[in-house]
Amino acid sequence: MTVVLSAEKLVKTFPGVRALDEATLTLTAGSVHALLGENGAGKSTLIKILTGVYRPDGGQLRLPGPDGELRAVQLGNPQDAQRAGIGVVHQERNLIPAFSVAENICLQHLPRRAGLLDRAALRTEARRCLDLLDLDLDPDLPVSRLSVAQLQLVEIAKALSADSTVLLLDEPTASLTNDEADRLYGIVRRLSERGHATVLVSHKLEEVFAVADTVTVLRDGRSVAEAEPLADHSREEIVDLMVGRAYQQVHLAPRTVAADVEPALVLDAVATTAGHHDVSLAVRPGEIVGLYGLVGAGRSELAKALLGLDRISSGEVRVHGRPARIRDVGDALHRYRIGYVTENRKEEGLFLDQTVARNTAVTVWRRLARLGLVRDRSERLLVNEYADRLGIRLASPDQHAGQLSGGNQQKVSLAKWLAADCDVLIIDEPTVGIDVRTKAAFHELIAGLAARGMAILLISSDLPEMVTLADRIAVMRVFAIVGELDNDHDYDRMSQSVIRFIHDGQGVVA
Amino acid sequence: MKTETAPEAPAVPPAAEPRPSARALPVWANPRLGLLIVIAVLVVLFSSLTPAFLDPRLTLAPLQADISVYVVVGLAQLAVLSLGHMNMAVGRMAALSTFAMGLAYDRLGVPLLVGLLVGLAVGAGIGALAGLLIAKTGVNSFVVTLALDFGLLGLVTILYTWATGGVSFAVQPSGLSALRFDTFADYCMGEVCGPRIPLVVPIAVAAALGVGVLFRHARLGREILMTGSNTVAAELSGIPTHRRVVAAHALSGLLAALAGFLLAANNGAFSANIGESFLLPSFLAPVLGGTLLAGGAVSVLGTALGATLTQVIYKGLNLLQFSLEELKLYIGLVLLAALSLDRLRALLAERRAVSSS
Repeated sequence: MTVVLSAEKLVKTFPGVRALDEATLTLTAGSVHALLGENGAGKSTLIKILTGVYRPDGGQLRLPGPDGELRAVQLGNPQDAQRAGIGVVHQERNLIPAFSVAENICLQHLPRRAGLLDRAALRTEARRCLDLLDLDLDPDLPVSRLSVAQLQLVEIAKALSADSTVLLLDEPTASLTNDEADRLYGIVRRLSERGHATVLVSHKLEEVFAVADTVTVLRDGRSVAEAEPLADHSREEIVDLMVGRAYQQVHLAPRTVAADVEPALVLDAVATTAGHHDVSLAVRPGEIVGLYGLVGAGRSELAKALLGLDRISSGEVRVHGRPARIRDVGDALHRYRIGYVTENRKEEGLFLDQTVARNTAVTVWRRLARLGLVRDRSERLLVNEYADRLGIRLASPDQHAGQLSGGNQQKVSLAKWLAADCDVLIIDEPTVGIDVRTKAAFHELIAGLAARGMAILLISSDLPEMVTLADRIAVMRVFAIVGELDNDHDYDRMSQSVIRFIHDGQGVVA
Repeated sequence: MKTETAPEAPAVPPAAEPRPSARALPVWANPRLGLLIVIAVLVVLFSSLTPAFLDPRLTLAPLQADISVYVVVGLAQLAVLSLGHMNMAVGRMAALSTFAMGLAYDRLGVPLLVGLLVGLAVGAGIGALAGLLIAKTGVNSFVVTLALDFGLLGLVTILYTWATGGVSFAVQPSGLSALRFDTFADYCMGEVCGPRIPLVVPIAVAAALGVGVLFRHARLGREILMTGSNTVAAELSGIPTHRRVVAAHALSGLLAALAGFLLAANNGAFSANIGESFLLPSFLAPVLGGTLLAGGAVSVLGTALGATLTQVIYKGLNLLQFSLEELKLYIGLVLLAALSLDRLRALLAERRAVSSS
């Protein structure tokens, strides 16, 4: 088998996090290679290195030269990657709607004659790429007239147009129906018969098992399975590899939750306009309830519906025993003392171009203000207090949040809710993109909050994190709770039960 | 790069992570200081070319009155730039508000202050309407206010024709001519008279101080800035972002009305052409002063200096007897040069900050 791409011991670090830690990927001609891993495992970073967007800090990338010998190459930019025969279809669409199919396919290298666009050559070239996919599409049709599935195929044709030998597909079926996905994978199989190597990134394990023949699993930036035949693994084994069975569990001081205490937050058979149904949960003061599920299971959406960003269409939410109608986050905060630490801290949690002081105090200005005015000094005192309590390393409270490392940023997005004195906290994926040591500190912090009586709903797709922190684990699958388990902190037993819920929506209640 | 799902690792490459604006910049890179120096150089230049530039009564007093108007015009735009929005109707909001003032003086004979308050209320109301349209529909502020401007252009003409049969009210409320002609030098206590500063100046200063305190210390102003910095994060931090958008646009309308009043006082008439010259200066003053079009940060002092610079250039060229067309050409060129220099200064400062970090 000819190796067409070999990435060896790639290292890529960002401030505060090692996104890739000697990750390895080997591709052979004619293979369909699945690249798997949970969020934050390093898949996107690896793909960005292969497509010339990022440069690795260590390791090397080797591609076959004209004589077929592998040679180390540097991909300085996406054009380099394209010239080296690596085509990519990103999750987001990258087509120009007003341009024709042919123009989009050949966008990077439009054929020219005497400085003008050579329409005939353009059409021939586009036709050739479409034929590779056995796709019967009019090359002159504007892309805006195509269906989602057709767009996806045009993207692939575009990726192949530069004589690519390697094709990277990042979640190609995310917006396709099952039939359309089947058709797409038929095309992928045909391409592999013709010798193309395909890398498939997908969260849908069913599809991966149906299409791919080899697999690399990334976890915490490392390859925990390297180009192994997929047939050697069961689905459970793959999930175990992804979530990390061998994870070294941190043992936190045990907490006791009084069983007879009235729950701080209750969801009673809640359905939402986002599509949730039959969601029942209760979180007592001092308790951490985990909400586990794979990406897309509807966990963050549930948090947002709870905060009024989507409507609760039936069922009841009760806070401290009283029925609650929460219209927006301000309502949740000021009337019900519920806080929400968002999943994407850069996009939703922080104001990157504002000072840490403002980022922390934004939720408490209402309390700090006298006659509508906020004194800088009271704000500064507050920030220093929480920087101390959470161990946020600051040069000054006037430092901009964008200048902090990922871990410190996450602490700031938590600090604003602690400052607001919430007694229910929904924490969404607290440790994504955070290195292992900071992660452990975070776990202690969250456990400490619960020990002081806070009711915490922890959303996470990091199973070891769940087993470490949660008192109970509710499993969500396709916008419904499919089971709830008491956590005995035995990772092997818990992960098996949880994974069973994920796979068939039923399991043994431990 | 923009990911809907959770980004793996930081989605932003590390080199781009700390925004340049976040670094500690060298003193000379402060845009306010740069403006002050340019203003000083120009004043020296103009006064050496034409001594009339330093005539207190003929030049300096009217110059201060003009600066007062355009500082407030700049603040009206700054109020929405804080959100990353624009108000293309700033001039016509002023026109409609001054019409309301003129009507109140003409038909109801109200005192100067009451008419002013009526006009400010109309300005704030029309601004709030713009804000409401933007917040509820999600349509870009540029488009909404541009359409509003067009509509108001017609409305103001129709209203003046209906109320006055022409383009101007004849009424002169008592106190208006004092605002127009007097300086503090005209008011003496015994032997001690005030400085030769027109009476409109403290009004503009008060407006600037008010807006400054609002954005620096008030919860409302800070929440507007946070909304401009990151609307999603603001909403998820419990800020009622829609109401903040409405408030910022209402403030913009209110300040436009105040600018309209000051211009009417300077001109001595409430007329339909008030606000015609507001749009470009409204952007120039804050932008020259270092306020970003992206939102999240404003500089009131910079806006005041930016407005001063534009008016100094205008007055200087005027005294050097440039024709109106030439005046426009040179002002355009000078401002283009000033903005390019400003950009150059920012780039140099950024480079120095990078190399020293």
